[in-house]
Amino acid sequence: MATDRRAEATWQGDLMSGSGTIESVGSGAFGPLDVTWASRAEEPQGRTSPEELIAAAHAACFSMAFSNVLAQAGHPPEHLATTATVTFEPGTGITRSAIDVEGSVPGIDEEAFRAAAEDAKDNCPVSGALKGNVELSVTARLRNA
Amino acid sequence: MPRLRRSADVVWEGNVARGEGHISAGTGAFTGLPYSLATRIVAPAEATSPEELLAAAHASCFGMSLATELASGGTPPERVDVTCTVTMDEVQGRGHLIVDSTLQVTARVPGIDGDSFQQVVEQADEGCSMSALIRASATISVNARLEGGDDGD
Repeated sequence: MATDRRAEATWQGDLMSGSGTIESVGSGAFGPLDVTWASRAEEPQGRTSPEELIAAAHAACFSMAFSNVLAQAGHPPEHLATTATVTFEPGTGITRSAIDVEGSVPGIDEEAFRAAAEDAKDNCPVSGALKGNVELSVTARLRNA
Repeated sequence: MPRLRRSADVVWEGNVARGEGHISAGTGAFTGLPYSLATRIVAPAEATSPEELLAAAHASCFGMSLATELASGGTPPERVDVTCTVTMDEVQGRGHLIVDSTLQVTARVPGIDGDSFQQVVEQADEGCSMSALIRASATISVNARLEGGDDGD
């Protein structure tokens, strides 16, 4: 079953002096959000950017996939905290998405936890979309009592 | 322009079927956006999803790329409007994949004719870092038209 998700953005002017807005998204969950070239490429000044949105998509997708891999292995997680960091190299484009995750997962050992993280990193849908062009990595820490 | 890095954080609790996550931008531009399996696959119910975030990324990235290409050609846009729809589907033997990103573009660009505009749109797609990113694994479609403007059609 296919799912479609939609967003609308506008831009006015040229790149350097112009500005844009992510006007709305289908769910209504966020927007309007301002974007500028300076905040994308230099200091963010509290504004989002395509790279940050990709990081958010990847962190969200990975977390869901990771919880699924863990649950299927018989160890559903209590809590996962994920950070995704996307790197843009001028002249090349988006080159990396690095995931860091810390989890509370009762009953699992560190090795199995890391293997599950690698599985989720390799197979979540957003990784699938990025894989052909981007270096993907995951560092995973188990934080069990 | 130096290399740039941007981050986002997610906290997830529970297993997939009944669990829930919250998504926050490193810049603070958005914080604590809830999402779940049900809202991702079944119905949004006012919750965002990875595909919606990718759509926002592609729409905003493409808008900047088009503005850049139009300005390079001496015809910067008054306004570019981009709607992006990202499709995820279940692919036989491979699970859920992001299969398509479709861009609908309307632009107000004084001083450009229709044919030149379409050429610039193609250049913008080639130059858009997000298009380049997902092209290896998904199809990308761009439908663009000029609106109003001094020499627009």
